[in-house]
Amino acid sequence: MLFGKECRKIFHSLTYIIYCIIVILMLTTQYFSDCAEKEYRPVRGEYDYGETIIEDHDLVMSNATDDLTTEFLSNRYVCYPFGFYKAVQLNDKKKAKIEKYIFEITGLDSDGIAEKKNNSMLYNFTDGTHNYSEYEIDGMPISDTVTYERFKEIMSDIDDILGGGSDYAVDSLVFRFSRVPMTYEQAIEEYDEMMENDRISGAYARLFSDYAGFVLAIIPVFVAAALSAADRRHRTSELIYSRKTSSICIIFTRFAALVTTMFIPVLICMTAAFLQILSLYGTKDMDMTTMFTLPSFWLIPNIMTVSAVGMFVTELFSGGTAILVQFVWWFMSMMTAGAAGLIGRIEKFTFVCRHNSLYYRNEFIGNWDNFVFNRIFYIAVSLTAVVLTVFVYEFKRGGSFNGIRLFGKDSIFRHKA
Amino acid sequence: MEEKIVIKNVNKFYGKKQALFDIDLTIEKGMFGLLGRNGAGKTTLMKTLAVLHKKKSGDINICGITVEKAKEIRAITGYLPQDFSMYPNMKCDEALEYLGYLSGIKKAECRKRVTSLLRKVNLIEHRHKKIRELSGGMKRRLGIAQALIHEPKVLIVDEPTAGLDPEERIRFRNLLCEVAQERIVILSTHIVGDIEATCENMAIMDSGRILWKGTVHDIIENARGHIYTANVEKRFLPQIKKDYIVTGMLAQSDYVTLRIVSDAEPDLPNTVLTEPDLEGAYVYCLRSMGCDVSGGDE
Repeated sequence: MLFGKECRKIFHSLTYIIYCIIVILMLTTQYFSDCAEKEYRPVRGEYDYGETIIEDHDLVMSNATDDLTTEFLSNRYVCYPFGFYKAVQLNDKKKAKIEKYIFEITGLDSDGIAEKKNNSMLYNFTDGTHNYSEYEIDGMPISDTVTYERFKEIMSDIDDILGGGSDYAVDSLVFRFSRVPMTYEQAIEEYDEMMENDRISGAYARLFSDYAGFVLAIIPVFVAAALSAADRRHRTSELIYSRKTSSICIIFTRFAALVTTMFIPVLICMTAAFLQILSLYGTKDMDMTTMFTLPSFWLIPNIMTVSAVGMFVTELFSGGTAILVQFVWWFMSMMTAGAAGLIGRIEKFTFVCRHNSLYYRNEFIGNWDNFVFNRIFYIAVSLTAVVLTVFVYEFKRGGSFNGIRLFGKDSIFRHKA
Repeated sequence: MEEKIVIKNVNKFYGKKQALFDIDLTIEKGMFGLLGRNGAGKTTLMKTLAVLHKKKSGDINICGITVEKAKEIRAITGYLPQDFSMYPNMKCDEALEYLGYLSGIKKAECRKRVTSLLRKVNLIEHRHKKIRELSGGMKRRLGIAQALIHEPKVLIVDEPTAGLDPEERIRFRNLLCEVAQERIVILSTHIVGDIEATCENMAIMDSGRILWKGTVHDIIENARGHIYTANVEKRFLPQIKKDYIVTGMLAQSDYVTLRIVSDAEPDLPNTVLTEPDLEGAYVYCLRSMGCDVSGGDE
């Protein structure tokens, strides 16, 4: 009864209508346009079958050393500390340390490196704010005395010198430097994976979840903050506070209503996506459930977490603060996920899980444990945030606490001033 | 269950500022008026009774239940806040149903009560109107309906008639009196006429303190012998207002008939001791308690 009324309140809010439009628009322009055509079995002799990642230590050491030397020579290292782009320039002392490591890895001295430099092409680039030049270094030797273990130690030190978030971070090495062009056989294998093991809908479900996931990591906060702030905005808080129903019942009902109503447009899109792949591939080889089960498991924790955090921050501070907090979190998650690559890297605690391809099933399955942990972790985070919201609400209801105002005439900063 | 509210030595602070000082009151079934100026502490006391504020010390017992048992108190009290408002997009019946569910009423029963209450407050024809389309008076009547949806033993109404036109005010007062047949109704207001028209028992509050409590009849009797009328020329009015407490004026050409509160007979022409009214009695009470009732400069 109360749940129905809360849902109705949400359905009638402008914020929710805007939310539905954004979700549907984003999925239409991204997912539905990407998947409008059927994927065909690769044909021998095609120009490009894409790339694949293999764990080849020699390849890692060779490619990483080439890139390191390139960046060393221009003294410009691209890093993503906390997911944010940063072009790092080192001082002489740190440059000398990097140089020493390059000597150790390659077995070359400064003359050897200078020779490599002189034999390489110089290219000019711009990063949007200023121009820079880089030598295209290729085929740096690897000393026989350097094992892969020692190489990882060196890379770890270099990542520290660069302030973290570089391509040389040990966790990134294989992902960054062990990519090879896919052969026809591998391309066929990937295609067969999609048709036989993913049974078509599994692959599409992953791509659908990827596109929907990054929208649902931010947009729900607007609806949650609007619902939580509505009592204050319409001056109904006291009317509700004075009712018999417990705070736990009010908050959990609102939370359930938020998650349910916000999942509805996602479910509609899921159904549309399922109908689309049915029309492309027919029912013969299709898994009839995965298009619904995988995105639900992937996306509901996003909606739950963003809603719960939105409710909590709005009760504690205000709606504007909740949106700000969620935006910062979302932005950092997106950058972290982006820096980790869009395919096959799902960390235990990265909020936005990404897999922007119909292929690479094995990479996804290889991260399955992390993925399951990640989703359950965020369900737990959301429930914890809801419980904290109950406490804040209960304090406010009994008159013990009136929320913390960061802005406006009641701002805590004003009182201190 | 005893049908009275007992308030003993209640103190309340906002930070370091004391808002209520040793409040002692017993409120029985029927209409009870709490009269005082804006900022007297009426709303604070109302909110403390409605468990929206916590007292610092003292005891409050509502119909045998101590105020610390918030959930039980909420089940037996209905509250109409000073600035009653609801979600503007909700329809009248939806709003009542929503608040009914929050009061723990089952769906079928809630629907029955909503219809009955909308009829009682004369809003049945407007049940499908959105809240934002209601007039001020209609909103207040809806406010009463929402406060009664769970059939409370105690109804707390805070400044319910402020801003209403005379017709709506009369209608609202009658509604309150009707409701008070079956329960305790506490009416907090700064409008003396509301108390005079509806309440048998009352208290006067000022600066967080109860200055006076008793029946309306008693307070009026208390002022007997201190309310005068005088018929004076208009040109003397500024001086008279400086010298006396004037509670009413009726202008007639060059003359004006004044109602004056005074301990001794004013030294003015055509002065007559007159029958006290609640307004005069209220001002007399404030003045006799040492409160400033000069009304400011003109």
